[in-house]
Amino acid sequence: MTAVMSPMALRNVLRAPAAIRPFLVQSPRSLYHSYEHNEPPPYRDAESAILSSALAHVPTHGFTLEALSLGAQESGYRDISTNLFPKGAFDLVKYHLVTQRIGLKDRIQFTDERMGVGRKVRSLVLERLRANVDAGVVGRWQEALALMSLGENIPRSLKELSDLSDEIWFLAGDLSVDTSWYTKRATLAGIYAATEIYQTTDQSTEYRDTEQFLDRRLEESRVAGSAVGNTLQWVGFQGGAMVNLLRSKGVRI
Amino acid sequence: MAPLLPIRARLSPLAFQLRARNVRTIISSSASPATEPEPESLDKPQSTRRKPLSIEQKKFLDKALRVNQAGELAATLIYTSQTPPITKAHPHLRPLMKHMYDQEAGHFKYFNSILARHRIRPTVLYPVWSVAATVLGWGTGVMGREAAMACTEAVETEIGEHYNGQVRELLAWVKEIEGKGEVLGEELQDLVKQIRRIRDEELEHLDHAVENDAKEANPYELLTGLIRVGCRGAIWVTEKV
Repeated sequence: MTAVMSPMALRNVLRAPAAIRPFLVQSPRSLYHSYEHNEPPPYRDAESAILSSALAHVPTHGFTLEALSLGAQESGYRDISTNLFPKGAFDLVKYHLVTQRIGLKDRIQFTDERMGVGRKVRSLVLERLRANVDAGVVGRWQEALALMSLGENIPRSLKELSDLSDEIWFLAGDLSVDTSWYTKRATLAGIYAATEIYQTTDQSTEYRDTEQFLDRRLEESRVAGSAVGNTLQWVGFQGGAMVNLLRSKGVRI
Repeated sequence: MAPLLPIRARLSPLAFQLRARNVRTIISSSASPATEPEPESLDKPQSTRRKPLSIEQKKFLDKALRVNQAGELAATLIYTSQTPPITKAHPHLRPLMKHMYDQEAGHFKYFNSILARHRIRPTVLYPVWSVAATVLGWGTGVMGREAAMACTEAVETEIGEHYNGQVRELLAWVKEIEGKGEVLGEELQDLVKQIRRIRDEELEHLDHAVENDAKEANPYELLTGLIRVGCRGAIWVTEKV
């Protein structure tokens, strides 16, 4: 991901020792989101062109350097342009993840006012999974998962997963900003990851088994969440009742 | 988020210095609100801003609004837990406590909506601050009216300085934007106005507390000193986490 920098900032970055430069280039993701202008695109033109044509080759060649170099050739760049992507095939996986996450809001619009947040989350997850199918990567996704689970790639993959989870909750209209902000995103990240893995082995028509898998996971999380919530509420009521009882007996608390 | 580098690079002195330089503490200011600048563009209707905020500005807003939400959470819980013991012993204070609580609840609601709208994460220590604020409110409430008012005075002094600092920082941005001839934008305009209003209401609570014999509290210096240090520590931790 690149950050848009002024020429002065770029000059300062280039003057620093090479090992330190990444600290100076900061990505403005996951910060204050403004509605008054559009975020700069995450990939520059050349990168975007190469990666998008490489993605078209993924169904046949998989997430490999071959697909990347075919993509480079097709978009009119030389083979050596794949040096733009130091992480090789993982950069291609990441491009797919980023573009699908950003494109999620354009793929689905909610018109029914009465649809609850839970149902919207379900629709958004299914839509994101459908996007994998439309891009034709489901057959090669196990390779992608293997790449994502390499030690050097795990932090970025987890960041992408948590960004996707945040995006889905935001698009579903979730307005909570207490501890449940974290628990909701964590559970949805887990559910989404499990469902995506399941989808790679799903042979049913129109991925109906995946849909049912997702429904079962969402139901489990709903039950677990409400169990915890109700227990905490009960504990709270018991505590409050005890305090009020003592106050009614004249204890000064 | 800095990408992962080899350990030697991450642990080199220059890396530490750069990381330290990038961390920006929230400014607090004890200068009187009357000395704040009054830029014109705060009152003019604004069209949509086209130039994006810089990364430092976004980081500042991210941290500042997170801390503000945590602060208002603590304030509402302090009043909630202070009110029963205080109003039992001094029923005439009920309207005052209710008024202050209602204003804090309004602030909390405002910051909640801002965090949800601008996709800012709340503090991880939300349950910790909830418990701490409840304990503080209950403790000072049980100690008596003067102690409760001293607690309010201490908290509101810290919060007032905190909001002062934020308002001054935002007004400095407004001045810079006006100086460059750019559009301020409705978001920033609204934010400055709202934080100013909230700061004014907090200082009003401070005045109410002092009027109600906050200074008569028995271990006054100890109580207010401890609470102020605690608030500053809480603000510092919430900025980071």
